[in-house]
Formats: sequence, C-alpha cells, structure tokens
Amino acid sequence: MDLFLEQLFNGLAIGAIYALITLGLALIYGIFGVLHVAHAGVYTIGAYIGYGVYAATGNLALAFAVSALLCALTGVAIERFIYVPLMKYPPYVPLISSIALFMATEEFCRLVAGPYVLSFSTNLPFPAFSFSGIRFSSNLTGVYVIAGAIFFFLWILTTKTETGLALRATSMDAPIASSLGINGALAVDTAFALGSAIAAVAGILVGIYYNEVHPDMGAMPAYKSLALIVVGGLGSVEGAVAASLLLGVAETLLIGFAAIPLPRDALAFIAMIFVLMWRPTGLFGARS
Amino acid sequence: MTGDGAILSVRGLSKRFGGLQAVDRVSFDLMRGEILGLLGPNGAGKTTCFNMISGVHRPTEGTIHFDGRRTDGLEPHRMAELGVGRTFQIVRPFASMTVAENVMTALGRSNYRGIHPLFRRWDTKPCRDGAMELLERVGLTSYAARNAGQLPLGDHRRLEIARALALAPKLLLLDESFSGLRHEEVARMEGLIRSLSDSGISILLIEHNMKVAMSLSQRVVVLDHGRKLAEGSPEAVAADPEVIEAYLGKGGIVDAAGGV
Repeated sequence: MDLFLEQLFNGLAIGAIYALITLGLALIYGIFGVLHVAHAGVYTIGAYIGYGVYAATGNLALAFAVSALLCALTGVAIERFIYVPLMKYPPYVPLISSIALFMATEEFCRLVAGPYVLSFSTNLPFPAFSFSGIRFSSNLTGVYVIAGAIFFFLWILTTKTETGLALRATSMDAPIASSLGINGALAVDTAFALGSAIAAVAGILVGIYYNEVHPDMGAMPAYKSLALIVVGGLGSVEGAVAASLLLGVAETLLIGFAAIPLPRDALAFIAMIFVLMWRPTGLFGARS
Repeated sequence: MTGDGAILSVRGLSKRFGGLQAVDRVSFDLMRGEILGLLGPNGAGKTTCFNMISGVHRPTEGTIHFDGRRTDGLEPHRMAELGVGRTFQIVRPFASMTVAENVMTALGRSNYRGIHPLFRRWDTKPCRDGAMELLERVGLTSYAARNAGQLPLGDHRRLEIARALALAPKLLLLDESFSGLRHEEVARMEGLIRSLSDSGISILLIEHNMKVAMSLSQRVVVLDHGRKLAEGSPEAVAADPEVIEAYLGKGGIVDAAGGV
C-alpha cells in the first residue's frame, strides 16, 4: 500500500510537469491555431538557461526568473518573426516550420553547451518529510508547490481577470473580439509569453528532478504534449492539465505494478488512440 | 478635410482583392446623427466598405476620416476604441458565454491595453450593471444568464447590437440586421434602431430589405459592382432609372423599389 501511494505521488509529480509543458501548447493552439512543436525547444532552452544561471550564480530563484523571462521573450520572438509572417499560408506551413525550428533549437543547444548530459545536481529549497510512511523528497515537495502555484495563478488569470477575458474572447472568435476593442495581437503575445515562461520553469524542474539536462530532453515532451493536447481536447487548457496528470499517474502505476512489455512512453500514444476512438473531440472538447 | 457636420467621410475608397475590384473609388459622407443606408445587389461591395471603415481591411486607395481624424488602415480594436461599433451579417455570439458575459467582454475594451490591467477583475458590479443596462435597452434582460448560443436569431441580432453599444459608439455599422427576422421582429428592430438614432448615435446600415431600408434611412447610397451608382433621399434614389435597372438586372426587388 505504501509503495502504491508513493508511486501515485511520484506519478502525480510527473503528470504536473507534463501539464506545465502542455498547457502552454494548449493555450497557444487555442488562441493562435498553430501546433507549436517548437514549444518543447523553448522548454529545452529554458532548462539550459536555468542550468547556466545556477552554475554561474548558485542562486536557484534567479535561475528560474531569468530563464522564464528569456523564454517568454523567445516565445514572443518565434511568434512575431516566424509564425505571424507564415499565417497567410495553409496551416501545414507554420507546422512544418515549427518542427524545423524545434530541431534547430536542439542543435543550437548541442552546439552551445555540447552534446553531453549535464548534471543539474541541486535540490529544490523545500522541506523533505515523511507522512505516514510515505517519503516526500524536497524535490517532490518542490514540484508540487511550484506546479500548484502556477496552476492557481493561471486559473485566476484566465477566469477572473480582464486579460483572461481578452484571451478567451480572442480564442473563441478573433475577428469579433477585435471589433469589440480587444487587441488580438497583444492577446497572442500574452499566450506565447505565458506559455513559454511556464515551459522554462518545467525545463528546470525536469533538469533538477532527473538530475540531467541534455540537448534531446525536449524530444519526448514534444511528441507527448501533442498527444496530450489532442486527448485533452485541442485548445482546452483544463483538458490539457487533466490529461497530463492522468498520464503521469497511469505511466508510473502501470510501469510499477503491471508487467506491461511496452516502453512507458508508448502509453501516451495508446491513450490518445483510445480516447479519440471513444471521444473524437477529446476529454474536454465537447464544445466545437 | 471633414465636411461640415460629417462624422464619417469616405473619399475615393477602393479595395482590390487580387484581380477583383471589390470597391471602386467610392465617396460619401455620413452626417452626425444621420441614418444612412448603404444599398446594392449582392456583391456590390457593401460589406467590403464596412470592413474598411471598421479596420478589418486596409483600403487599396482612398481615405477615411472618422470624427475629425484620418482612420484608414487603423486596426479594428483601435476603431472600436475610437467609437465605431459594428454588427456582422452572420451573427457570431461567443456561444459558450452567457448573454451578459458577451456584453461584458465589450465593456472591458478600455482596459485591454498594456500590462497594467493584467490582474484587474472583469466580473465586477459596475460591469454587470452596465451590461444589464444595455440588455435592457435592446430588450434582452430576461435572457441575461442564458448561454448565448441558445438564443433565437432575432435575439442574436439584438445581442450583437448590445455588444456594439458597450463600446459607447458614436457610429454604428449595422450589417443586415433585419435579414432572417420574422415580421414582428422586424418592427421591433426598426423601433430599436430609431431609438438609437434618437439617442445621438450616427448609423450606417447595409440592408437587403428595401422597404425597411427606405423607411429607416434619411439618405441612401447605392453601390453596384463596387461603384457608387446613386446617392440621395430614398424617394429620389428609388425613382432613379439606373438603380431600378441594377436591381432588375439581378432579378431584384421591383415591388419594394416601386412601392416607396
């Protein structure tokens, strides 16, 4: 039973990290209509920047802040200078550019930081404790607290604030929103900046949680987060978060308890196939 | 530049889409407080004119002056801020929001700029009250809490007007607000538009229903194939042989033109 709970909590933490990566993708797809594959590239860059700042200063909070800020700017730059000029072409053009850009960011990291696995060996500054026999490491606690804070912040932002209303209106119908005085370009910038900053945080969390930062670390999140936003209902941020948490738990429990002769990373795609057969619009995609 | 008392002045306005000349050197003025009808057969360029005035399309040539400043090429959200409200030919409410939320979305317009209002709440009492006031003006208060997607067409058209009114517009562009309405809804819409005009809003309307257009408009401008065919009082324009021919040529609206 203890082992089961421990696995459950580990799985939830992994799901929370998936959610941090995926929700930016869902936000951007919902408002902009582009599958931003290079989002996982921003996540990798975020991990490297965090690693670099931490190695240079030893200040983890500064590493998170600098990385989130630079990645927000990177995300907006990708949107303004790559996607916006390509929006007049059919949707596969920005999609292919996005895939190319993702590969370019991987190679860029390899060139700058070398092809090695860097060890991001530090602990998140949160208490480690045991609760009725289940051990929470400081990193596990840290992932919970940071991811929880970000989810809460985003929930407030999107449901309660004028910024959130502008984002929602633009994602529902951009021409109508602009006729009501909402600056659509600013809303899209906001989505890219937010999504990219959160991806940077996710990159650093993964780096610390698994104690490694490497150029290919974005590959699996790139494919998995695509499957997750489809499962969650394209463009639905709540759906993306729910699907991510479910997948993190399912992966961990199935690998831990059921002797499934498949790699853990295959699960996301199997889940995607089954969910789409059962509900083609995804878990939270009831509205069209 | 602007004519005496004109809130909107359009001069030599043209729009080309590839090889298609959608609007060709159209000029007209809309006086303050006036209801001006923009008429013409399908494909005459009426909606393209609307799209240029409201900032959706940048004119290929020509100028637009609104309320004393040049506005051609400004983006739609800037035009909304300046006081140009519009409705669309095909109604498009935010279907998963309530009727009141639809209006509240437009009420926030002055705050959607910059970083400062990032965390300002939108669902406040003044905002809710403002939305209810506008819904009362168009007669939709009883539907305030309902999902906008479930409204019948006539109510959608009135919701669109409430949403446009949330901008406190000086100019309202109404794109076929009467199409698809039942007889009693037409009378109600006519009353609503008159009351808006009485409250001082200048109105430019595109209308297919000639009877309604002729009775509401103080003046009309007729377009055909992107060009201005005629301009003047409804009676004069309805008697214009060129106008009658343009409509007859399209298998058009003999009774209505003759019936005024």
